[in-house]
Amino acid sequence: MIKLSRISKSFGRNEVLKGIDLTVEKGEVVAILGPSGSGKTTLLRCINYLEKPSDGEISIAEFTVNCRKPAKKDIHTLRQKTAMVFQQYNLFRHKTALENVMEGLVVVKKLTKEEARKLSAELLEKVGLGTKLDAYPSQLSGGQQQRVGIARALALNPEVILFDEPTSALDPELVGEVLAVIRKIAKEGITMIIVTHEMGFAQDVANHVVFMDGGVIVEEGSPKVIFQSPKEERTKQFLARITPESAYSI
Amino acid sequence: MGAQFDITAVFEYFVKLLPFIKISLLIVAGSIVVGLGVGFLVALPRLYRIPVLQRISQVYASFFRGTPILIQLFLFYYGLPELLKTVHIDVSRVPVLYFVILTYGLHSAAYISEGIRAAVTTVDRGQIEAGYAVGMTGFQAFTRIVFPQALAVAIPILGNLIIATLKDTSLAFTLGVMELTAKSQSLGQLSRHFIESYIALAAIYFILSFLLEKVFFALERRLLRHESRSETAERVSLGKKWLKRRLETKVAWTKGGTGI
Amino acid sequence: MTLDPSFIWTAFVQILPAIPTTLYITIVSMFFGLLIGTAVVLIRIYKVPVLHPLAAGYVTLIRGTPMLTHLLLIYFGLPMLIDSLAESFGWSFRSVSIPMIGFAYISFSITAGAYMSEVVRSGIIAVDRGQLEAAHSVGMTTFQALRRIVLPQAFAASLPNLSNGVIGMLHGSTLAFTVSVVDINAQAQIVASSNWKFFEAYLAAAVIFWGLTVLVERLTALIEKRINLYNRGGVT
Repeated sequence: MIKLSRISKSFGRNEVLKGIDLTVEKGEVVAILGPSGSGKTTLLRCINYLEKPSDGEISIAEFTVNCRKPAKKDIHTLRQKTAMVFQQYNLFRHKTALENVMEGLVVVKKLTKEEARKLSAELLEKVGLGTKLDAYPSQLSGGQQQRVGIARALALNPEVILFDEPTSALDPELVGEVLAVIRKIAKEGITMIIVTHEMGFAQDVANHVVFMDGGVIVEEGSPKVIFQSPKEERTKQFLARITPESAYSI
Repeated sequence: MGAQFDITAVFEYFVKLLPFIKISLLIVAGSIVVGLGVGFLVALPRLYRIPVLQRISQVYASFFRGTPILIQLFLFYYGLPELLKTVHIDVSRVPVLYFVILTYGLHSAAYISEGIRAAVTTVDRGQIEAGYAVGMTGFQAFTRIVFPQALAVAIPILGNLIIATLKDTSLAFTLGVMELTAKSQSLGQLSRHFIESYIALAAIYFILSFLLEKVFFALERRLLRHESRSETAERVSLGKKWLKRRLETKVAWTKGGTGI
Repeated sequence: MTLDPSFIWTAFVQILPAIPTTLYITIVSMFFGLLIGTAVVLIRIYKVPVLHPLAAGYVTLIRGTPMLTHLLLIYFGLPMLIDSLAESFGWSFRSVSIPMIGFAYISFSITAGAYMSEVVRSGIIAVDRGQLEAAHSVGMTTFQALRRIVLPQAFAASLPNLSNGVIGMLHGSTLAFTVSVVDINAQAQIVASSNWKFFEAYLAAAVIFWGLTVLVERLTALIEKRINLYNRGGVT
């Protein structure tokens, strides 16, 4: 179980997160929606401390970090319990697809190279890249790179995988293959938090939807409730503006 | 001026010059070692934005890039002993070769520090984040992710610099170091066959820079094998002193000289 | 021999008159270097038979050897060549009538030409092919397109390299002392050895070069700012 309490974050005088509370149950798939600048990506990046929250508490599987005074060791432990899939993929440029997946297993999980290779190859097979093991990121399409990114995250067997707009940087025709992979692993009961603009996908895959705006959670609930009968005016406006346009990419 | 042109003399001088390659290469190697050490120290304050020291690093780089190596040679040769005398260190017996290596070293350090800065800053921030995200420590992310990628950027810069330094060593003769150029001058003076000895000299420099170029190109290709062809194909060849600013960073890390 | 700070100023003043010589060498070699460089690029782009491999060889040879060897070869080789040609064709011209600085001009222009060809080439490559096509699409001739569209952009793209080239030639001009031309460096040598104050004299020379270099960099930045407005894509 993941529990965020009173997470806040300011860039200078600009308060981006204003005390967020969020609980994610084990095996749950949470989609975070919201207009750009709502703080959703910042919140996600706070969970694995790529952004340093100004205040609050992060607790993942009984392990708690106080953001007021985090120890370096705690941050490291937190990161070992999470994995992330980036908007810009961020595959290690100097490593092949296979090596990208192996890297965390060998360096962080201390698996032997053989074990790591076997597991990584299986995972790449699973995301449909069994034939691209030795390709470098520069030789892969955006969709393929992102699928390697997902395999890299899966390999670590984390408590939660954080998806930061995983399809935003992709050409429209490549979005489908990535969403299909995420959908597939969502069914396996892996806890996931997904920041996304793909409304149809969120509605389809998530068990829980969070709508953020202006650094606060405006509304949260089951996809059915949020998409079909939102209570808050801001949610309604946002959905009205965005749903018709992105419907095509479902 | 001089005697009739004699092609056999070119070969004769070529062979006679060969042993002096050692000295020139010694100056290059020594100065690169000094340059890497000093260059790293000069780069650090700017990478970590340390106040005051950062400013000093800037002035250092500006001075050594802003004055001709020939002037620097004279300046250190004549100036350093005097400066050291004020703190009661007598260097009048130190061989001139050390002054030469030190000067070329300090000169290269200015370019190396810019190179290090450029190399480190070209590595995308997302790469470090991805390292953290898979659970690496800062040290692991640096050594396993940032460093190898930065090295791939730095190797061609270093290669250029080494070739440029090799060509610059032709100036060491002005302080009386018996390297390739000095030897070819004395060969020319003895026989009045100047042209032949200078052709032999140019041939040796050419072969050396050609070989160095090949070595570095191979190294670069190996280190950059992860980049797709199109990105690495468009490269300038041989002693590319003022490599195009392929990098986004606004630092002039090319050696701004024709390699005198 | 102790440091004499006041002599630095004296030397500075005595070296000043040599600045024009250094600047002449720099400007002349850059000017002809650019001409040669552009010619080389055109020859290589249009793959002119015979000249094409020659141009490639020229660039490789010059860039693979020190500038000093170019000067020495020109200084010793050119007179031999001219005099033997003059003798066989019965010209009255002899190499002795070439002024010393002429050797520096010729040799440094040859050096600069090889480096400039790379600068010009990368400048032209930097201009997107679509620019030329767009110019054609609005009805420009190739010449108009080159002059009005491609060259200005190529110039903007190669400005940093050109600036580096100027600085390189400025520093390289110190070699002129080997052919007895009195530039800043040679003048510093004269001031140094006639007063037996080497450090002070070279310090003054270094300050002058540093100042000139910074000046070139500042000017470049200024020009860059003016012509690169379009590159920044925002309002300034």
